Order: sequence, then C-alpha cells, then structure tokens
Amino acid sequence: MRELGREIARDYEGKEPMLVAPLKASVVFAADLSRALPIPHELDFIELASYASGADTGGHGRIRLLKDLDAEIAGRNVLIVEDVIDTGLTLNYLCKTLSLRDPGSLAAATLLDRPYRRLVEDLPVRYVGFTVPDELFVGYGFDLQERYRNLPDLHVLQKS
Amino acid sequence: MILETPDFQAYRGQEPPRFANKAELECAKVLDYYGVPWEYEPTTFVLEEDEDGRVVEAFKPDFYLPEQDLYVEVTVMKQSLVTRKNRKLRKLRERYPEVRVKLFYKRDIERLAERYQLELAS
Repeated sequence: MRELGREIARDYEGKEPMLVAPLKASVVFAADLSRALPIPHELDFIELASYASGADTGGHGRIRLLKDLDAEIAGRNVLIVEDVIDTGLTLNYLCKTLSLRDPGSLAAATLLDRPYRRLVEDLPVRYVGFTVPDELFVGYGFDLQERYRNLPDLHVLQKS
Repeated sequence: MILETPDFQAYRGQEPPRFANKAELECAKVLDYYGVPWEYEPTTFVLEEDEDGRVVEAFKPDFYLPEQDLYVEVTVMKQSLVTRKNRKLRKLRERYPEVRVKLFYKRDIERLAERYQLELAS
C-alpha cells in the first residue's frame, strides 16, 4: 500500500487528484490507499447496479448508477480505485461515463488484476497492487453474498 | 431448445442472434448490460481447403466486439475436452495472425456466473 501511495503521490504531486471508488468492494482498499497517499486529494464514491441486481426480474436492462459522485469532475484528475479488474467491463463503463464529464485526466488503480481474463483491453490501468491467479477472494472488502467483507486480510475461497 | 432473445441494445448484427446454448445467451446479456457493442458469429474463418479449393475446415467464433476488434469463442466443454477447439484456435492464429481471438473456457464462464449470478444451467 505504501508503495502504491508513493507511486501515485509522485505522479500526482501538485495535481490534487480525486479518488473515485466504486462501492462496495473497493471501499477498504480506497480507505487504505487514501491514508497511504501523502498528497492532498479528495475521495468520492460511485455505485453501479450489478448485473445480477439489474437482471433479477428476469428482464433485460442496461447498467445504471445507483449513486452518482457528489462532486463535479470537470478538469479534475480522476483516479478510479478498483478492487479487482478482470473482464474490464465495469471499468470500461465507468471510464466511458466519467469521460463524458470532461475530467482533466482519468486513470485507474486496482488492488487485484486478472489481465488474462480481459475482454476490454484499452483501459487506463496505471497502478496494480497484485496480479492474481484465477481464484475467488473474500475479506478486505471482497464478499461472498455480502459476507466476509469485514475480514481484515484477503483469503482465497476454497470450494468444497 | 429455443432460447429467448431479449431486445438487445448493444447488438450490432443484422439478423436476430440464434444462440447455441445458454452460456452464449448469458454472455450476450452481460456484454449488452455493460454497453459493449457486440455481434454474433459474423465471420467464418477458413482454416483448411482441399486441392480443389473446397473448404474442409472452418471456424466461426461466437462473438465479435467491434470496439475491441476482438473475437470471443465461448465453450462450455470441460477443460479436458477443449483440445479440438484449442487446435482450431491455434490454426486460426497461424493463418490469420492479425485476428485477435480469445477463448472463454467453462471455468471463465463459471467465474462470470459467480460474479454476475448468471443462470447457466441448460
């Protein structure tokens, strides 16, 4: 975390970045990253309806915002703070949506990365905590049906 | 088995897609949900011809994502049974090195299913 914080601080010195964390899984990582970032910055949150919640009626819809950012981002240096990037579908949508608001710059930091599962390649992923194997994780914000987010460390989920 | 064909919004093909299985349908729905333009089986790649020029082997990937310029083949076969498909993919890459194609294995689909709570039983 300290390494990521130092790297981001070096790149954003004097730019007062805005960290944008998609709820919910990234919230623990965002909180730790924010505290490890020794330069002035803002923190804001956004929430997207998951595919599962959007499709629970059996119908078919498009992704939508459940919670928008509180602040304007025009001209700001936005750093999206993701828990994990695999297919890149969510981040791609976020980047497209936030780009329409004319930020000064747009990049992403992720705690975990699974680049081998990418469907969308052209993403501004600038900071990666760990490239991980194809395992399911719980703890440190990651959940299994809303449980285990509170575990202080990351755990690999072993299925019986 | 006849699969539902929802009113897709990011579909860029001409004819309504006719999915071979539920995993393909669910993948299409996920792509559509996230607004990623997609086509269904738009291209057949010839892999092998006989001496008279007749096609003896071809490969038609399930999806094409025009914004990514990426073909995606979805397979629900067990990992141990995908050898034939892997061989086709290898041939395609040899004959068409400029074509970007990705194979989504059963394991990848299961990961998607876990993440997005897809219904894949078919």
